[in-house]
Amino acid sequence: MDRLLSVRFRGTSWHFGDDIDTDQIYPGKYLPLTDKSEMAKHAMEGTDRGEEFIKNVKPGDIIVAGKNFGCGSSREHAAIAIHGAGISLIIAQSFARIFHRNCINTALPVLELKEANEIQDGDILEVNIETGEIKDITQNKIYKAEPISELEKEILNAGGLLQYLKFMQG
Amino acid sequence: MTVIEKIFSRAANKKVKADDYVWVNLDLVAMRDFGGPNVVKEYKEHFGDAPVFDNKKVAITFDLHIPARDEKVAQNQQILRKFAKEHNIRLFDINTGVGQHILLENGLVKPWDVIIGTDSHMNLLGAVGAAGFGMGTTDIAAGLYRGKLWFKVPRTIKIIVDGILKYPLTAKDVALYILKNLSTSGALNRAIEFFGEAIMMMNLAERITLASMVTEMSGDIGFIEPDEPIFEFLRGHNVTDLEPIKSDNNIEYEKVYGFDISNLRPQIACPHSPDNVTNVSDVAGRKVDQVFIGSCTNGRFEDLKVVARILEGKRINNGVRLIIVPATMEVAMAAEQAGLYKIFLESGAVVVNPGCSLCTTGHPGILAPGEVMVSTSNRNFIGKLGKGTEVYLASPATAAATALRGVITSPMEL
Ligand code: SF4
Repeated sequence: MDRLLSVRFRGTSWHFGDDIDTDQIYPGKYLPLTDKSEMAKHAMEGTDRGEEFIKNVKPGDIIVAGKNFGCGSSREHAAIAIHGAGISLIIAQSFARIFHRNCINTALPVLELKEANEIQDGDILEVNIETGEIKDITQNKIYKAEPISELEKEILNAGGLLQYLKFMQG
Repeated sequence: MTVIEKIFSRAANKKVKADDYVWVNLDLVAMRDFGGPNVVKEYKEHFGDAPVFDNKKVAITFDLHIPARDEKVAQNQQILRKFAKEHNIRLFDINTGVGQHILLENGLVKPWDVIIGTDSHMNLLGAVGAAGFGMGTTDIAAGLYRGKLWFKVPRTIKIIVDGILKYPLTAKDVALYILKNLSTSGALNRAIEFFGEAIMMMNLAERITLASMVTEMSGDIGFIEPDEPIFEFLRGHNVTDLEPIKSDNNIEYEKVYGFDISNLRPQIACPHSPDNVTNVSDVAGRKVDQVFIGSCTNGRFEDLKVVARILEGKRINNGVRLIIVPATMEVAMAAEQAGLYKIFLESGAVVVNPGCSLCTTGHPGILAPGEVMVSTSNRNFIGKLGKGTEVYLASPATAAATALRGVITSPMEL
């Protein structure tokens, strides 16, 4: 097993808007890259704050986005690059189906939060993915997201879907 | 229970409801010449030479770049032919057609089935009451190995379409009209169940058109209750043990939409989004360089018949190129026998071998910068058919009328 997932996260939020597609998360011209650390250097590059993100993102940071995050093509590179850049968790109003799957399958937790847009860029967040509680330390506010499901937790714990299946019984 | 709750409950061997996370047994895992080679790579990396879960429940289809257009594609196809041989998996080679349609025509799909594949429009299988899902590489590799996959059971919205669909109005006009109202995120992560007079009267080709466009609404899957003609088609294609499927009465849907198409005019999606929809008459007269008729959305025999009806005995406009692509070899043969090829060729069309063709870039026939195309496919995102190009999405009837005049034309004008 790759790593054991913690249920508590603390990090600084990076705010993004609605309908951020996978081409913005990971531009198509980098699709030929296979090295994960190389891929990580292009995370969020196609967004309007791509340069700032790549320069300043720190391990543990949290992406907070609007509706339909990760829409567009189903490239798994998008989830892998974000993860590799140090992002520990993504919170969004909603996710595109395949992107959501790709995140869980590559062991990057995601939470859906209706009020995601209220969280400001740069806020310090403390998140418990098991209860779904999101504390915005900066604004002194508490939000309640849908907790992560047991099934997703098992996959995340194993370090991803294929790792999980190797050990899955039955 | 909704249709998707029923299908997932059976496939999970326990009662599930919307929003549940659940492991589901798969009836079929499909991959294609695009995406497939990455699946093989990931499979080998993780599982080595381990046998697939059930070689009878795996299929490989070639439809995107067929015949191979360059060395890279040729290599990819080679990888899949080798994998198919090693694992004794059925492979449908370059002489077959669009994957989902090939699965349907080869007895690999029936109501209640859960099917995953590498294409974004696997969900068109909802047209026969099967749950088809487009998936990423890892999901397909996982499915191949274990024959099961995790799902979040989607919530369901209900769409009722009343009125009678008659020539030259088609299922494509209905699909575009719904898209206009729902928008490209209107069914995000949702299943749809279609009801109403207009839907119930649709034949298989029309149901496929509608179900395929659920992807553009960001929906997971759209179901239409299979009726006797659908069962007849499936029986005729070697499917046995057919079982009806429909949702229970009096269930609560998350949302209900009602549409009446009695006064609907032909619809067209303007660049660069499938929900940028208006009446064809609103953009009539716009000069067009190329017309593409085909794709998984509009490449069946019934679609081609409408086109032939419009083109018969006529020549297309001098300033326009018309490319017609039957979805499958079976469709092509039926079209040939019915005399459609003669009509197409005499009209000045180029008829291409069955496959996905101009649904996406990378196939012969893409556009030069600044060119405009009317397409019967399902997506018109910026750059999809070449840089600086414009794609309009419309029905086969509108596409054929446009080819005749060289400018966007409503088939009602003919
Ligand atoms: S026609 Fe286009 S959308 Fe349909 S299966 Fe082929 S590539 Fe996919």
